[in-house]
Parts: sequence; C-alpha cells; structure tokens
Amino acid sequence: MAVTRPRVDADALADAIGLGPEELAMRKGFLEFGDDDVHRLHAMYELTHEHVDVVIEAFYEHLMSFPETAAFFRDPRLLEHVKGRQKEYFIRLTQGDYEQEYVTDRLRLGSIHERIGLPVRSFLGMYAFYLRQIASLLLEEHPGEPGRAFEAFHSLTKLLFFDIGLGVDIYIYQRERTIALQQEAIRELSTPVLTLRDRLLVLPIIGILDTSRAQKLTEGLLRSIRESRAKVVILDVTGVPAVDSAVANHLLQTVEASRLMGAQVIVTGLSSSVAQSLVTLGVDLTKLNAVGDLQGGIEVANEIMGYRIVAIDDGTPEVVDARSDPQAG
Amino acid sequence: MPVDDVCVVIRSDADVVAARSMGRSLAERYGFGTTDVTMIATAISELARNILKYAHEGEIVLETVERDSRGGVSVVARDDGPGIADVGLAMQDGFSTADSLGLGLPGTRRLMDEFEIVSSPGSGTVITAIKWLR
Amino acid sequence: MPVPILKQGDCLIASIQSALTDADLLDLRDELAERVGRYRSKGVIIDVTVLDVLDSFASRTLRTMAEMIRLRGAETVIVGIQPEVAFSMVQLGLSLDGVTTVLDLEEGLAHLDRSRRARVAHAGG
Repeated sequence: MAVTRPRVDADALADAIGLGPEELAMRKGFLEFGDDDVHRLHAMYELTHEHVDVVIEAFYEHLMSFPETAAFFRDPRLLEHVKGRQKEYFIRLTQGDYEQEYVTDRLRLGSIHERIGLPVRSFLGMYAFYLRQIASLLLEEHPGEPGRAFEAFHSLTKLLFFDIGLGVDIYIYQRERTIALQQEAIRELSTPVLTLRDRLLVLPIIGILDTSRAQKLTEGLLRSIRESRAKVVILDVTGVPAVDSAVANHLLQTVEASRLMGAQVIVTGLSSSVAQSLVTLGVDLTKLNAVGDLQGGIEVANEIMGYRIVAIDDGTPEVVDARSDPQAG
Repeated sequence: MPVDDVCVVIRSDADVVAARSMGRSLAERYGFGTTDVTMIATAISELARNILKYAHEGEIVLETVERDSRGGVSVVARDDGPGIADVGLAMQDGFSTADSLGLGLPGTRRLMDEFEIVSSPGSGTVITAIKWLR
Repeated sequence: MPVPILKQGDCLIASIQSALTDADLLDLRDELAERVGRYRSKGVIIDVTVLDVLDSFASRTLRTMAEMIRLRGAETVIVGIQPEVAFSMVQLGLSLDGVTTVLDLEEGLAHLDRSRRARVAHAGG
C-alpha cells in the first residue's frame, strides 16, 4: 500500500534512532575503534584527497555497469548530486573527526539511498568496493611495509563497519516508519460507519481491535448515532480475527453506550469459534443480540424498525413501513 | 503551553461540581478532545465524591504534566480519611457496575491512562491519575 | 437551581439546564415524584442533553427517580445522553439498567405516545 512518508530532517534522525553520544561511544568501543585508529585514518588524508576523483569515478562506473544499480541513477542530476556527496564522504573518512556531525552526515547520505530505494545489498557492495580501492592505494603508499598498510586498512575497516551500522539503522528505521504509517492507514480505512437506510447504521469492523482503536470506533459510532438519529446499528465483526476479553469488553461497551443513546445494536458475523470464545469468557451473547450474518442482521433490523420487504408487481422488492401499510398483517 | 494548575478543596457537593468544571476547562485548554475531556471530568467527579463520602474533606489537585515528550493532565485526589484497608481488593475488577456499592475505583481507572493509589488505614489516601494526549 | 418542569398532556418534561449539584438532583427527584402524583401523569421525560458528566451519583439518582415515578404509576424516559457522556458512563461501568433511554426529546415523546396507545388498546380490548 502506498503511503506518503514525511521527510525527517537529518539532524532529527540521529535523535529519532537513538544515536546519542552514549550510543555512539558504545558502538566504537564494541568495534575497538580508538584514538590510534583515528590517527591512522587522519594520516591517510592526503592520500584520499589526491585520489578522490579517480576512486569515485571508478566507483560509479562499477555501479553503472550493473543494470540493477544503474537503474537508480538514471537521472543525471541525481547522479551528479550523489557523486558529489560520495566524494565528500570519501574525504570525510580520513578527516579524523568521527563525532555527532560525522554521524549526521552518514545518516543523511543513507537517507538518500533509502529514499530512492537502493537495496541494502547494493549499498553493502558499495562499501566493499571502497575497501578494495583503498587497499590497493595503501599498498602503493607503503611499499615494503605491508604491516603498516594493513594496520591502516584495519582502522579503515573498523570505521566502515561503524558506517555500515548507521546505514542499516536508517534502513530499518525508515522501514518501520512506513509500516507504522500503513497500519494507521489501514485502521482509518476500516472504520467507516455506513448509513444503510434512514436511521439504520452498519459498522463493519476489520482487523485487530486494540483499546485505542476501539475507543475511536465507539466514539465515531456514537456521534453517527446522534447525527443520523439511528435506531438500529449493525456491528459486523466478520473481519475481527481474534476476540479476547479486552475485545469482548469493547464490544459490550459499544452495545451499552449505543443503548444509552437509544439505539439497539445487532452484532453479526460472529463465527462459531468466536462465539465459543465469548461464551468461555463469560459474555452473555443475548446482550450482543448476535445474529449469524449481515443479511440476517438486516432482517432483524427490519423487524425492529417495523419494516417489511414487499415485492411489487414488476418483481422489484420494495421496503415498506409495515405500520403504515394497510396490507401489513 | 502555559496552563494554570489548580487545587480545589472538597468539602461539599458544590465543590465536586467545581472540581469537575475546573478539570474540564483545564483539559480543554490543554487540547484534549471532547470524549477525553468528559472522561477526565467524570473521573474527577468520582474521586471527589469518594473523598466526600469516606473522608468528608480533602483536595483535588489538577496539573498539566509532561513525560518523554508526551503531554497530559494529572489529577491528584488527597485526603486524611480512614484510608483503604485492602487496595488490591478495592481495585479488583469484574467489569461490574460501579453505581451501587464501593469506591468505583476500577471504573475510574478505566477512564484514565495511569492510576496509582497510596493508602493505608489511618494514613489517608492519595490517588494519582494521569491522562495523556493522544 | 430548580429544573423547569413542563406539563404536556399526561406527560411531564424536566429539562435540565445546567450542571446540577447533588442537592439539586435530589430536589428534582422529589419534585417529579410529587407532581406525578398531583397530576396523575403517565409519563416523565428527563432531558439530560446539557449534562456534560453523568457520574455514579447521577446515575444512581436517575434510577431511583425512575423507580419512584414508576411506583406512582408513570413511566420515565431519559433523553439526550451525549456520545462522550455515554462513552464515559460505560467505561465507569454505569448502565442505567432498567431505565428507558432514547436519543432526544422527539424520540422520548414518540415513545410515550406508543405507550399511551398500547394502554388505550389494552384498555379497549
């Protein structure tokens, strides 16, 4: 289901995901990323600055050679934009300062990739590419000192794992927001109060009924009862998958509150297993005025309201007010 | 959103009405919807009534509260009355009607989001109930 | 603050205008009981549209009123419970069991009308 997800400001993202100074310190500790690493990375600054353009161009050439990833960068403006950001990112890796501002930058970049829909495996592949590129640069830079090259490489690896962690956090966070928005949208969809006929309302309930949703539902129904001066309400629970004592009580309360406003409630769509659960919970089914299905419920509503459906000459059934119809028995 | 905090002394049934109406206006000004406003006012009414019935005198303090970037209204009902001997029992809930006997506390709790009782025989009673903005 | 009570045929209509204290509610109870007896009314409508809260005391008192009125030979109909009030009442566990409740004054009068016709039919039959 498509939902519009409002943009969250990158500065607010760190807060939203819970990436405060304590959390970041903990992550660095876990990766054993310390001051030595910071120094080694900073020592690579000249190196990265010198080669940034070449590395980034090679990087995007690599990306564009795979149709799967190329698809995301068809728009030349977007491509230029992300290239620019990647160059900044690349240089930032060796700037020597990896605190809150660094994190905000990462999150921003990760946000862009998530928003355009780049799969996680693609952005992980990007990191692998960086490591390869820099590994060869480091070996060239420290000829005959593979140990030193390796140490520098190791520091970079730690930093990149730190970055990957942030990227994954963004993906997960945004996914969860989308899910939450979708759930809200489903909830809104599922509680319309329908006017079947003058003073007869139908409320089909679909999905999980938690306390907050049940309250909204009941409030909406009671206001509709007042607005349409309803005498009968059919509450259809075919779409309610599980009925526990909380749901049973929400139903009973809805029935009772409707009665206080002068409307009778008929509950339809109770499957035999749900009915059984309710009985086990000690709910008096007669209080719910339970009828098997919606059709049966409408028939009962007709009876209560004094209507009868009569076939007129051309075969079209017509709803008649039994009290005013002289033919009514 | 600066909103006045209020303390209402409960000594007579006119005070019950006053506490209710203060609660209503505080909740409305704070931004609660009509149903929630009514729930808060009803809870205040019940708590004030209990004070009158069992302690004859007490107070209701109404305040706005904030926690974890959520806002709400808190109702504190305080008295130096006989206290509740068995709080657990008083809070026992069978969704039975509250309009005949007893303190009606389970029902009052259902009206609010958070509910806490501190009470023992001879030490009076303090009930704190909070409703959060949805 | 006294509640205005209108006489309409064999019905009495009590229209609550504002928040009532406990004493006001008890006065209303006694007043209605007295007038039902005096006018030999058959129906009483209590309009609570304006009440923004119906708590356990109000609920208990309304039920008592209905009982006292019944003992004097009349039927009580409570009209005008608002959505928010109905909701709060059921949360609190108040049900007004045994008391007729309808949407508004129009419905209340219609209900008493039906009762009257049923009485007449019964008496005539």
